[in-house]
Amino acid sequence: MNLFGMLAVSGSALTAERQRAEVVTSNMANMETTRTPEGGPYHRQLVVFRSRRMSQFPALLVGFGNTAAQGVRVDQVIRDAKPPIERYQPGHPDANAKGYVSYPAVDPVEETADLMGAVRAYELNASAVQSTKTMIQESLDLLR
Amino acid sequence: MATPISNLRISPSETVGTGKSVAPREWGFSETLRGAMDQVQQLQGVADGKVAGLLDGGGMDVHSAMIAVEQADLSFQLMMQVRNKIVAAYQEISRMQF
Repeated sequence: MNLFGMLAVSGSALTAERQRAEVVTSNMANMETTRTPEGGPYHRQLVVFRSRRMSQFPALLVGFGNTAAQGVRVDQVIRDAKPPIERYQPGHPDANAKGYVSYPAVDPVEETADLMGAVRAYELNASAVQSTKTMIQESLDLLR
Repeated sequence: MATPISNLRISPSETVGTGKSVAPREWGFSETLRGAMDQVQQLQGVADGKVAGLLDGGGMDVHSAMIAVEQADLSFQLMMQVRNKIVAAYQEISRMQF
């Protein structure tokens, strides 16, 4: 694996963490959503990461051998199985016969912690990119 | 008398790995440099495309555009270093006393 390969690995992690943050912000935005295209309240979503061998085209380009270097990608976005929260709001247009409205089971504290985690992981990988850049520049300085 | 830069030749011996001897291909300084420049240009094209995708709202990731720009910049720097070496070697030869 050459140094550009390290950039590819860090880049895949940045993409994955961005998608994770995207899902978390979507959960935050839809905390009070009672109507969705598939009907019913919004369901909290979670990302599932999967490691990825960097053996496709860009990796060939940068010359990965059979190293253990693995990038990451979002494998799937799953729906949290938690049941919706019932709130008594008889005047609400989405209230059921008993006057209860189903709200998404999204905990703002949990989402905030998740978002912080995603942001920190993004920062970590961004600084890995920075370090890789420094390494490449150092090797270029050998020629000077 | 100075020789044109394209007449100076680097002749690599046979290619490593292939068993049979390949007729050594002659590489001029200018070809070496042009090859490096082509590769740099290719990376710059990739970076250009990604930055354009970012600016026109094509859903390009900011970081992948930045990484592409950084790769293009680094390979440009490498190309400049190689060019400096080539020109230095050329000047060294042209200063040779006969």
